[in-house]
Amino acid sequence: MIQQILAALIIFFFMGRLIRQKKQKKISGGEFSFWFIFWSSVLLATIFLKSIDSLVANLGFSASGIDVLIYLAVAVLFYFVFRLRIKQEKIERDITKIVREISLSDKK
Amino acid sequence: MKVFCIIPAYNEERSVVDVVNKVKAMVNVVVVVDDCSTDKTFELASGTEAVVLRHALNRGQGAALETGDSYALKNGADIVVHFDADGQFLFDEIPDVLRPLKDGEADAVFGSRFLGKKTEMPFLKENILFPIARKVNNFFGVKTTDPQSGFRALNHKALKMISIQNDGSAHCTEILTKAFRYGLKVKEVPITVVYNEFGQGLLGGKGRGKGGLAIVRDLILSRFIS
Repeated sequence: MIQQILAALIIFFFMGRLIRQKKQKKISGGEFSFWFIFWSSVLLATIFLKSIDSLVANLGFSASGIDVLIYLAVAVLFYFVFRLRIKQEKIERDITKIVREISLSDKK
Repeated sequence: MKVFCIIPAYNEERSVVDVVNKVKAMVNVVVVVDDCSTDKTFELASGTEAVVLRHALNRGQGAALETGDSYALKNGADIVVHFDADGQFLFDEIPDVLRPLKDGEADAVFGSRFLGKKTEMPFLKENILFPIARKVNNFFGVKTTDPQSGFRALNHKALKMISIQNDGSAHCTEILTKAFRYGLKVKEVPITVVYNEFGQGLLGGKGRGKGGLAIVRDLILSRFIS
């Protein structure tokens, strides 16, 4: 129970931060919606942890609900790292285009 | 026919002048693209008859080649030859690579180390890296004997169609893949490669985007970038 309250407090902290960032127009509407849905889902999973336990057991998994959540969290983290890597590569290519334009214009 | 030779160079002060002086008799214009070398490559190349372009940041061999190709296209090139600055290719084999383009037999010609001419290849490269590279190329629909040849020539049509997006050494596979995908007439000709030093291994090499693992990584990432 105490762990669930602590987890909920941490989630509320991040949700509050998210709302503040939206108000300050630091993030787009789409980004806000995505992260709001994400943190709301985590909050619901924290509140209904016991239900997830029984759901996981009904599905035939031996792990408990919290274990499944951790596995899912790792998978989500991998996905985010991959997306970041793609974004970084796009930025690298844009840098290359700028460097190329400068070198070609220097030769005109 | 106006033939441009594109020579990407990164820290090649020992060989760049010699390479330019040997190559210039074989083509109309030599273009050296200095990829932000930290040695005297730029200064030494500027003292030759070559057109010298300089990247303000090190971007990789593929990026340097694309810069050279862009320059060649803007300046009326009919054919470009890609040639290394470290002296590992033989300048007197340039006519062999150009011939199929001049005769209209091909749009893109790739030099191959596996078509009869003798090349003393490092063991790791010949027995581990290249077999893997061939498998990777096969996955991308490329069926050439040499999976990573940097000695190639493209006619105007191929040059306009193939824009190199991979900054690092993955450009070798990219150019081959695009040549096949765009339905260009592709031909391989035998070449010799002189290994002065082991340019790149599995884990890295000189400059950005070098090494077998970096090539595979870049090729995978490319598929997710439009």
